[in-house]
Amino acid sequence: MNYFLAQLVNGITLGGMYALIALGYTMVYGVLLMINFAHSEMFMSGAYIGLGTLLLLSNAGTQNAICKVLPFLSFFKSLRSFFTGSTVGLIIMFIIILAVSAVLVGCLGMLTERFAYRPLRHAPRLAPLISALGVSIFLQNAFLLWIAPNKPFNLPAVVAKAAIVDLSGKNLSLGITPLRIIIVATSVILLIVLDLFIARTRVGKAMRATSQDQDAAGLMGINVNSVIALTFFIGPALGGIAGVFSGAYYGTVTYNMGFMPGIKSFTAAVIGGIGNLRGAMLGGFMLGLIESLSQAYISASYKDVITFVILIVILIFRPGGLLGSSVVEKV
Amino acid sequence: MKKNHRIVFGVMAALLTLALILTGCGSGGGSGSTTKTFNVGFGGPITQGDVAFGQGGLRAVQLAIANANKSQEAKDLKIQFKVIQGDDQSLADVGTTVANQFVSDKSMVGAVAHFNSTVSIAASKVYHENNFVQISYGSTNPALTQQGFKNVFRTCATDDLQGPTGANRATALGFKSVALIDDSSPYGQGLVAAFKDQFVKNGGTVVYQASTQQKQNDFTAVVTKIASVKPDLVYFGGTYAPDTGAGALLCKQLKSGGVTVPMMGGDGLYAPEFISGAGATAAEGSYATCPGMPVELLPNGKQFAADYTAMFPGQQPAPFDAYAYDAANAIINATYSVAKDLGVNKVTSPAGKDALIKAVAASNFDGVTGKVSFDSKGDPNNKVITLYKVVNGKWEAQADK
Amino acid sequence: MADEIKDMMTPAYDKKKKKEPSHTRKHSKTSTIMLAVLVLVLILVPFVFAATSQEIYTRILTIIGLYLILALGLNILVGYAGQLDFGRIAFYAAGAYAGMIIGLIVANALPAQFAGLSFIVAILAGVAGAALLGGILSLAVLRLRGDYLTIVTLGFAEIIRVSAQNNILHLTGGAAGIPTAGKNLPMPIGLAWLQKNLYIPLGNSNYSISFSANIYWYLLILLFVIIAIIITRRQENSRTGRAWAALKDDDVAARAMGINTTKTKTSAIMMSAIWGGVAGALFAYVQGMVSPETFAFFGSILVLAIVVIGGMGSTKGVIIGAIIIYGTPELIRAFAGPSGLPFIMWQLPLSQNVVATIANYRNLVLGLLMVVMMAWRPDGIIPMVRPKRFLTTEAQKKIEGSAGDSTVDPNSASASAVPAEEDLVKAGDAA
Repeated sequence: MNYFLAQLVNGITLGGMYALIALGYTMVYGVLLMINFAHSEMFMSGAYIGLGTLLLLSNAGTQNAICKVLPFLSFFKSLRSFFTGSTVGLIIMFIIILAVSAVLVGCLGMLTERFAYRPLRHAPRLAPLISALGVSIFLQNAFLLWIAPNKPFNLPAVVAKAAIVDLSGKNLSLGITPLRIIIVATSVILLIVLDLFIARTRVGKAMRATSQDQDAAGLMGINVNSVIALTFFIGPALGGIAGVFSGAYYGTVTYNMGFMPGIKSFTAAVIGGIGNLRGAMLGGFMLGLIESLSQAYISASYKDVITFVILIVILIFRPGGLLGSSVVEKV
Repeated sequence: MKKNHRIVFGVMAALLTLALILTGCGSGGGSGSTTKTFNVGFGGPITQGDVAFGQGGLRAVQLAIANANKSQEAKDLKIQFKVIQGDDQSLADVGTTVANQFVSDKSMVGAVAHFNSTVSIAASKVYHENNFVQISYGSTNPALTQQGFKNVFRTCATDDLQGPTGANRATALGFKSVALIDDSSPYGQGLVAAFKDQFVKNGGTVVYQASTQQKQNDFTAVVTKIASVKPDLVYFGGTYAPDTGAGALLCKQLKSGGVTVPMMGGDGLYAPEFISGAGATAAEGSYATCPGMPVELLPNGKQFAADYTAMFPGQQPAPFDAYAYDAANAIINATYSVAKDLGVNKVTSPAGKDALIKAVAASNFDGVTGKVSFDSKGDPNNKVITLYKVVNGKWEAQADK
Repeated sequence: MADEIKDMMTPAYDKKKKKEPSHTRKHSKTSTIMLAVLVLVLILVPFVFAATSQEIYTRILTIIGLYLILALGLNILVGYAGQLDFGRIAFYAAGAYAGMIIGLIVANALPAQFAGLSFIVAILAGVAGAALLGGILSLAVLRLRGDYLTIVTLGFAEIIRVSAQNNILHLTGGAAGIPTAGKNLPMPIGLAWLQKNLYIPLGNSNYSISFSANIYWYLLILLFVIIAIIITRRQENSRTGRAWAALKDDDVAARAMGINTTKTKTSAIMMSAIWGGVAGALFAYVQGMVSPETFAFFGSILVLAIVVIGGMGSTKGVIIGAIIIYGTPELIRAFAGPSGLPFIMWQLPLSQNVVATIANYRNLVLGLLMVVMMAWRPDGIIPMVRPKRFLTTEAQKKIEGSAGDSTVDPNSASASAVPAEEDLVKAGDAA
């Protein structure tokens, strides 16, 4: 029983990260009917930005190097011991990292929308897809060539010692650690917040209207460009947060870390019904559980095969995904 | 003509003309100076795939070339060397394209190529057809040298040597049950298969076997499973690098997941980055086998390490880099000997290429990994395999009991 | 009356030229001659490359050919039938593995002289394997539409790759691929003879024309590319092709017209799978071995990019797309090498680091290229031109003029607003 529960915990944690990324995919699809392949690179950028922020806030070497160039940042040095010393400091640092990462990745998302997708608003459906693929390839290689020349980064020792990241710290026999709780809790909280935002606020209403019919929404006085830009801020921001979690959870960031999670999260979004926020969340957690449990009880080598077979089976019986609306018939 | 037709014809005509110009002028790039420059090719995964090993090998070959260019022998023969990189991205078809590029180069004397077994095997057919020296520095699949190609060599040990040695050492250390993990690479699968055979023959039991995927970084489910079956040892076939086999990540997650037994692997784990990647506490007590004598015991080894860190500050040599260095030197020495026999200008003629292959086959010099010489199949004669253990955050050679 | 109307017949977009556009004639003599010359040049080009020992370009052309066959297959599904497919690489893999497995079996079974024929059987086996897979995929996607179909094809491709990696049914040899140690594919028929007898040394001792395996496979692939182009274009204009086009436009309307959408979708998937199988089997022989890492998802993306950037549905577009998408990174790499442009033409002493950096930037450039091309030409470089029927402006004026005349008898044939069938010009044959 313990073994099952332990694998359950693994699965839910993994699912939390997949769910966060899937939210990004589903939001963009809902508004633009487009699969944003560059989203996996948002995830990766989030991890890198998170690492950079971490180094900036806590690493003596980095701070000295930066302060030579930008002396007005030297007040960070004094904060360093606060951040790395106490638990409260660590928590605040983590929150800062998450916030910085989310904002910057959101901006990156808006940039890609502005330059790569907006010109293609009225082009055939496949054009933005290819553009997204191009952006993805570009970002991967950009990070490879300019930022991570040959070695994948590893989390510096100061953080590894911290209770937040140390997976064996407060280890119950089920492996429930502070970081895992944080990941799952954040995902669920963000989903609830997002759900309320879309359902209850005016901006949310604008987003729903735009996803139903762009032209009509424009006629109703909604600034469609702003709404789409906002979507491309929120979605990638969530992906960036997931990236920070991934970096913290596994302790490493590499230039192609976004690829597999991206595909799996997109699959999760489809399983749940693409375009549907709750479906993405459900799909994400389901996928995480399927992955863990199939590794635990069937075969680790075939875990991806099992995942996709289940996807196909679900789609055969519910062609619109689990929570998706039945496919719209053009009459 | 249709507008579309015109575009197509125009583009194709332009491309063909370009290609013809390129090839037409291909022979015109001769130099008039008195030193002859020879190219040594390096084929490896530089931008994608097993990037750590590709870039490390490249650095080693660059070091070998730099040392050779400074040497007295090169000055006497008026030869200089240059490295030409070929990025094969760990993919067999890209590697074959790289091979084609190398064999088209009239000044190239040989290639240190490739790292991944599938790439080397696919590319070897091109090298063989063109009578071109190929020395692999990281392909461990026995199939490479079983093809009967006289121009194919390797300086690293094969899986069917490293696996059983590891198994024997493991049994000798008292491990009776093992969990086998491989990273779905040909290297990993081959190593694990060879280890398993010998381990079972020695009376050990395999309590769990699984494959992880390349680029996978979530091993939590596998770790939990291993924790529940409680083996004496976890044997990992694969590389340490997080963007491919992720051995270092596995080690870290094993320890965080409460698995206290040591992890053991092959030369894919034996690198300083394994320790820094997994964290010194997690990596403590891990084992790895690696062909060749321990570096400290070899005079050339220490010099190599010193030169390496001097030329590339911040980088440390890994075992595959040492194989690449020896491979490059085998080609360099063969060039010297053929230049002496046939004259500098005949080195890349058809007769010269034959002579180069024979010279490499007859190599016999002191390299960084020990004495460098090849048997009739092209495998290295150096069959020493050392076991290393992480002690106090560093790899230490373990003497045979 | 009919003559007058005929006189006014020039399609709307050619009114500047005031002459009959070329596409209303049958393929003109000039066109055919140009095509023949092109084919001849393509046949001779590898020999020129061999003479100057620039084998690399033959190899690049060969791979472009393979991608072209793959892309033509994808073109059927995406361009003609309008279904997005991420699983192209699955059929490629099926063709390669089936071809290799059967090829090895046949090669061992036949006596030595005929072993070279094994590749013909292998290609058939590749087609069969891919068709089988195509059938399975069709079953899975019957009820699906649009993006759901897409994700299933993606999953499908990954299933195939992982299964091959794990040595499913002990057929695929695991990560190391097949053939396993020591076994080799026999040389294809005729190659040994050609190599011996077609060796022409040129004056300089370092250069000679010899018939390498590269050239053999290049010519064979060229043959298959031509066959593929002919067959796919024929199909496009056949009943099946029209059914595909109807499916793409509006599948509900197609069903209302009596087209069996299930059969149509299935036939599209199967036909595109078959070309994937052909390409795969050829690839197995060109490479001499198959291993699972070749069949990663990135390959599907590349083929998709070829089709979309080149122009979905248009054959010439696909050709251009293949040359650009595959050729650009490789040419950048060759550009930066010792046989590249700056060195050859201007003897520029580029340092190795610069050269290597340029070469390593090739994928970055590819990504940028994809984004830029889509922004510039969203329909593809040579978009598909669908058969349309136009009225000329003069005819339109005439009809509007008649309609404005209130004394016109609505029953009179000459005032009919609907042009007679033969007065319309069929514009834009499928490109």
